[in-house]
Amino acid sequence: MKFRNIKGFFPIVYFFFIIVNVGCTKDFLNRNPESNMSTGNFYKSKEDFVLALNAAYSQLYTIYDPLSAMSFCGEQMSDNATIYNIAGNQSEQTAFKDYSLMANNSVVYRFWQEAYKAIFQTNIVISNIQAADLDESFKMQAESEMKFLRALFYFNTVRMFGGVPLVTTPVTELESYGYGRASEEDVYKQIVSDLVFAEENIQEDAPAVGRATKGAVDALLGKVYLTLGDKQNATTYLMRIYNTYSLLSNYKSLWDVSYKNSSESIFEIQYLGGASVPSSRYWPIFAPFENLTIVANGGGMNQVTETLWNEFEPNDVRKDASIFQGYTNRVGKFIEIKFPKKWVDSTAQVINEEEACSNNFIVLRYADVLLMLAESTGDAKYLNEVRARVSLPLYGSASYPSQKYGTLELAIEHERRVELALEFHRWFDLKRTGRAIAVLQANGKNVTNDKLLLPIPQVVVDQNSIITQNPGY
Amino acid sequence: MNNNICCKGIHHANYKHRIPSIILSKILLTMKLTVLLTVFTCLQIKASVYSQQVSLSVKKAPLEKIIKEIRKQTGYAFFYDAAYLQNAEPVSLDVRKVSLSEALTKVFERQKFTWEVMDKTIVIKPSMKENKGVADFVQSTTDIKGKVVNERGEPLPGATINIKGTTISTAADGNGDFFLKAVDSQATIVISHTGFKTQEIVVGNRKELNIHLFYAQRDLDEVVVVGYGTQKKTDVTGAISSVNFEEQRDRPYTNALQSIQATVPGVNITQTQGAPGASPNVRIRGISSITAGTNPLYVIDGIPMESFDLNSINPQDIKSLDILKDASASAIYGSRGANGVVLITTRLGAIGKTKVQVGYEHGVQSVKRRVKLMNAQEFIKYYIDARNNAWIANAGNADDPNSVRESKYRIPEEFLNDPQQFGQGTDWQDVLFRTAQSDNLQLSLSGGNDKTQFLVSGSYLNQDGVVDNNNYKRLTFRTNLRHKISEKITTGINLNISAIYDRSYGTGGKEDVVSLALQNDPVFPVYNENGNYGFRDPQSVWYKYTQYDLQLWHPYAITREIDRLQKNFNTMATAYLEYEIIQGLKFRTSINANLYNGRYNDFRNAGQNYGWSAIQPAEGSTNSRFNLNWLSENTLSYKFNIGNDNNLDLIAGYTVQEERNEYSQVISGDFPNDLVHTLNAGKVISGTSTAYEWALLSYFGRVNYNYKQKYFLTGSIRRDGSSRFGMNNKWGYFPSIAGSWLISNEDFLQNRDWIQQLKLRASYGVTGNNQIDNYGAISLMSNRNYVNGSTLANGVIVNTMTNPDLRWEKSEQLNVGLDMLFFDQRIGLTLDLYNSVTKDLLLGIPVPDITGFATQLSNIGKMRNRGIEVALTTKNLTNNLKWTTDFNIAVNRNKVLELGSNGDPIYTNDYGTTKTEIGRPIANYYGYVFNGVYNTQEQIESSPHTANTTPGDPIVVDINKDGVINENDRTIIGNYQPDFTAGLTNTFSYKGFEFSFMLQGVFGNEILNQEARFTKIYNGSRNAYSSVNNYWKSPENPGDGKIFKPSIAYSGLQQQFSNYWVEDGTFVRIKNISLSYAPSAAFLDKVRFFKDLRVYVNVENLHVFSNYSGFDPENSSYSTGLMLGADYGSYPIPRNITFGIKTSL
Repeated sequence: MKFRNIKGFFPIVYFFFIIVNVGCTKDFLNRNPESNMSTGNFYKSKEDFVLALNAAYSQLYTIYDPLSAMSFCGEQMSDNATIYNIAGNQSEQTAFKDYSLMANNSVVYRFWQEAYKAIFQTNIVISNIQAADLDESFKMQAESEMKFLRALFYFNTVRMFGGVPLVTTPVTELESYGYGRASEEDVYKQIVSDLVFAEENIQEDAPAVGRATKGAVDALLGKVYLTLGDKQNATTYLMRIYNTYSLLSNYKSLWDVSYKNSSESIFEIQYLGGASVPSSRYWPIFAPFENLTIVANGGGMNQVTETLWNEFEPNDVRKDASIFQGYTNRVGKFIEIKFPKKWVDSTAQVINEEEACSNNFIVLRYADVLLMLAESTGDAKYLNEVRARVSLPLYGSASYPSQKYGTLELAIEHERRVELALEFHRWFDLKRTGRAIAVLQANGKNVTNDKLLLPIPQVVVDQNSIITQNPGY
Repeated sequence: MNNNICCKGIHHANYKHRIPSIILSKILLTMKLTVLLTVFTCLQIKASVYSQQVSLSVKKAPLEKIIKEIRKQTGYAFFYDAAYLQNAEPVSLDVRKVSLSEALTKVFERQKFTWEVMDKTIVIKPSMKENKGVADFVQSTTDIKGKVVNERGEPLPGATINIKGTTISTAADGNGDFFLKAVDSQATIVISHTGFKTQEIVVGNRKELNIHLFYAQRDLDEVVVVGYGTQKKTDVTGAISSVNFEEQRDRPYTNALQSIQATVPGVNITQTQGAPGASPNVRIRGISSITAGTNPLYVIDGIPMESFDLNSINPQDIKSLDILKDASASAIYGSRGANGVVLITTRLGAIGKTKVQVGYEHGVQSVKRRVKLMNAQEFIKYYIDARNNAWIANAGNADDPNSVRESKYRIPEEFLNDPQQFGQGTDWQDVLFRTAQSDNLQLSLSGGNDKTQFLVSGSYLNQDGVVDNNNYKRLTFRTNLRHKISEKITTGINLNISAIYDRSYGTGGKEDVVSLALQNDPVFPVYNENGNYGFRDPQSVWYKYTQYDLQLWHPYAITREIDRLQKNFNTMATAYLEYEIIQGLKFRTSINANLYNGRYNDFRNAGQNYGWSAIQPAEGSTNSRFNLNWLSENTLSYKFNIGNDNNLDLIAGYTVQEERNEYSQVISGDFPNDLVHTLNAGKVISGTSTAYEWALLSYFGRVNYNYKQKYFLTGSIRRDGSSRFGMNNKWGYFPSIAGSWLISNEDFLQNRDWIQQLKLRASYGVTGNNQIDNYGAISLMSNRNYVNGSTLANGVIVNTMTNPDLRWEKSEQLNVGLDMLFFDQRIGLTLDLYNSVTKDLLLGIPVPDITGFATQLSNIGKMRNRGIEVALTTKNLTNNLKWTTDFNIAVNRNKVLELGSNGDPIYTNDYGTTKTEIGRPIANYYGYVFNGVYNTQEQIESSPHTANTTPGDPIVVDINKDGVINENDRTIIGNYQPDFTAGLTNTFSYKGFEFSFMLQGVFGNEILNQEARFTKIYNGSRNAYSSVNNYWKSPENPGDGKIFKPSIAYSGLQQQFSNYWVEDGTFVRIKNISLSYAPSAAFLDKVRFFKDLRVYVNVENLHVFSNYSGFDPENSSYSTGLMLGADYGSYPIPRNITFGIKTSL
């Protein structure tokens, strides 16, 4: 092989130019991710929006996770639940129940992040959908559902942190620095406006099981108005669904995996259980820490307090349906410890040391609506519908324990505590009725008015100086 | 420089380009001084300022001395064969202000030589009467005998002697002797030996040749590898550290970079994990990036590789390692040069007889620096006090029985009644660590003729780790081949294949076996009475302790119950073709590829024999990784002169590179038993596969110019286009300019004998850093499903924010350097000063969470690194006993200049907090300051304190003096960047013995000891350092006043990140001690089998002087990012003693 003359060299030069040409093709440097979708060409088709809607709904998994802010605030900061031994940095988690939260608590920060992640997934749909070339009814339905979710997320957030930055469109990093804390009032205004929009535009029946319905919007709107102290509006919206739902005859069935989305359920988070699909973690996380017999491991969260146990009236079947008194360990010894029973799924497959359960989590149910109606109307009949289901003496009857719950307000407070026990309502109920300080201090909690709001995470305050800290932190 | 043919007083340069060949042949013919042609020397003298008059007054002086004197007085150069002068008669003379010719006549009166002046050179030649005439040697052949020796006159067996332009070659025998038959008198012979400067000699009419080879090291003619080419060291304008691997020959290491640790200033190499095969962390000239990678670019035989595992290259195959430190040197690598570039060149056979080299090494490793922990008795006291302190804080009494306590305050009765039964307990480090053996076998064949040169090598390493069951095996094969197809065309191929089997435990930090072994409670036995590991065995008497929050992560529950193996297969190939179109104009094209396949299998036995914190089910997983990186590189270079003084070297090139990574993983559970470990035995739980790509297109050009070998100028530019960056910023330019002044080549220094080299360098350039995710500019989405009633509904969530403006980080670096060689090259000094500013810093800046995201990758920020690097080499003794000292020291100061869009600091929280803020170094540790322990209530009352503080709790300093202890009292409590780093190596050699020791020092850095959150602070009943025994017990017994009282429920800031976790990272390490012996040539000659032989013993990491309470101050659980200096129980760096033998046949 001789390349002495330029002819022989020609193939090399030719090869060189081929390579140059390969390189010069315009797309050589434009690599689209192969294993991820990207936003560039998304939010166009109906299918895209269906995917985006589902993703927004999937945020409910974090917002109502057994280790979520709803769980910590709703139960542990109330007098219902506590934690004993848990894994990891215990002081950051026990600080909730002890009211010793500090602004740099990483769990509080996680809650903040989760809230805004969830809100973002609704915002991005809401801001893209109107421009999409899709049929109007689909667009209105999608926007309504997203506004319902956004209202729910803001409602939870404002109840925990007070006024928060009110973000209703996707914002860039630079824009975000312009967002200080909106007043509580403004946040509620937005919540109401979102819900009113949804109320007016959402279809009566959801396009799929688990999606928001008009009933869900009414129930939430009722709850929001009740929280705002607007009993009249609360009654208006709650009455719209009065008798459109019905209580299950057997209280215990509410969490039974074969009674999902029952007639009592108004808005319910959907799980399938098993491998690779969304599964619910309430049962293993609420089981005693490292018990190793009832569940593979046990998270030890939301262990039931004696006061909740004692709150139940004699013969209240809800007590046994709600709480375990203990378990038998590996050597056959019975360990006395009270913990939640509602979400037991004994058939769950164990994956990564945790039961991948199938139970749904009910966010809004009819019993809650009835009790809210009792509260907004001052009429005990709604309360008594709830009590009748579990065959307890009706309020106003002779056998009602009125020495303990002398007023209708106290009766409702008591009823909500036992009916909705461990379903993330208690702390918010106490705050709504203004009874938090009295009740919690009586339970030995070191709580002041300031501590009824979580601190704004230190990182958030550090990051943007226009964001102010809550008093007391 | 005695017996050599040389030209005194003249610096080496390219001879051929200086004197027209016609003049040369004239010299040859007329002077019969055949030896003149030997060489790389040059003649270039400016003598205008010198006097033509000579004064001499000497008695019996050697001729050489006279010549020197005359040269000094006149400026005339002398050209002669030093061998002749050996036989010169001493000269006695006394002349004043005579002419040069008169003086020379007198000097040579009684000599067998005569002289002639040519131009400004005096050529010394034998007198005519000594010679037989011109014709005799012009055309004749002769048999040649010769001897090759080194600088010290010791024979160099194995030196290759090749007749230039032919395949005839021989090798020097054990005495350095060689014999060549019938050599043409006009032939040039080439003498080479690895590690020495190659010499060429024209045979002439000589029958005997005495050849001195000089060490290539420190040689002024040494060639360094620069990007896309090589340069003579003297011509280099940038800051390049070149490491000749012959020097590193005896030290055991799996990764070439480990060998240069502490030897190159400004190159900070940290062995963060001591596991066999663990790659060191490399940072060149400080940290230039916060978010993007800080790894240098590795260029292996011309192939630029990002994040390449150098373990797949056998260090013994490496010829040289060149580190491009400043921007002018690395700008030719454009968008990937900002962290520096490491160029690795592998060996190629030398012309001559095929050389077979064999080496064997056996190593013994052990952990000499154990962590001092509490024994069982100490732990029990600590445990009891922690419970009682919390119980007392809860209004109990220390002597309350368990029956009145809540469960978490209870104490095992045995701890209270009969702690002695636990004895000293188990030392879990004894259980985890072992003495590990290693074997390393090396074999290579190399050789070739002037047309073809080759190297074929193979190696096998089998190294056990000091952690139980930890093992590393490596097999490598290499073939390097270079063949000249014709005078104009050369082709070659380099092929490297490696297979690595790595069974590794203990490098995972937080949740891995090394970290957890330290936290294990010593009260538990290694095996329980059932032969199981743990107290969680329900059938065991130890089971009762499960209710007392005691901890045991049995090392064997990982090392013996988890069956894992990582297998890496790497093939790297380069094929090239060089075509010399006309003299000096060369086209080179190459196709390169690196193919990596990795397989990882893992199987966890069910229950892990009760040795883990939870009884876990059996689980298996298998991963596979595939990377293909290909590169086409095309360059055109032209080397030419304009006149005699203007030397130019141009190169222009074009490259295309692409990489594709694929990954897949399958996990199975539900295994019926532990017998079958492959996934078919279980049920698949999850599986995934992903693929990523990047592509890079580049154009580059460079001009090297020098005027008279005095003034050097280099300019380069590269244009890079990368797929990783945003649509608006795909392309970037990276220019550089550098100049140097070789002052020692100036006339005014020409006669300063004591200066061999003096060079001043300055450079400025722009480089980039593209080490970010492949799709950082694109807003990515991923699946997040929901459920519609009973069916799964697919959902897609937005994961990252989009940034079409994303581009590379740009570093602008100014470098000023000085290279000096004095006193016969006995003192060498290199000094560099640099100032580097990185702009457009890629920050995954924490964005306000209200955007829906925690971070976004943006180009916001500016950081500066400036520093000084000094490398000093002295040859203290050069006689029979040789003593060389290499010292280097480097100082780097890092400062953040701009950050984020509004200058807000960046915090990281990962068991410790770092704060990166403007005006300070990157990633300062940020936390509370604990200043001792409160001893009395009065003390507490008299200072700001947190609620519920009691005696025995830490004194938290009120930094902002507002009278309240809260988050605002956190402050800077350290940084992982050292004030300076230094290395010192002393090498002594005497006859065949060589002894060296090396010290490594890192000064002024702090370590974030994350393990401290357990081992220094009572937390979940884990074991603690024995120093914690000094904790506060009572006002009368306050311990050492530093360690607060333990409690299972701290009420204050005890568990918050504070200076209590931060430790001094300063250390001095006896890095290496080695002793080797090479038997004399005479001895080897008798044996008649080996060409050379060396036996050696090496102690690596003999001792560390450090106050750090973890295993090693160099340990870090992170290899990148803001937590670099944090150690969460890293794999200790063992002491390694190796015995080796190397020989060639």
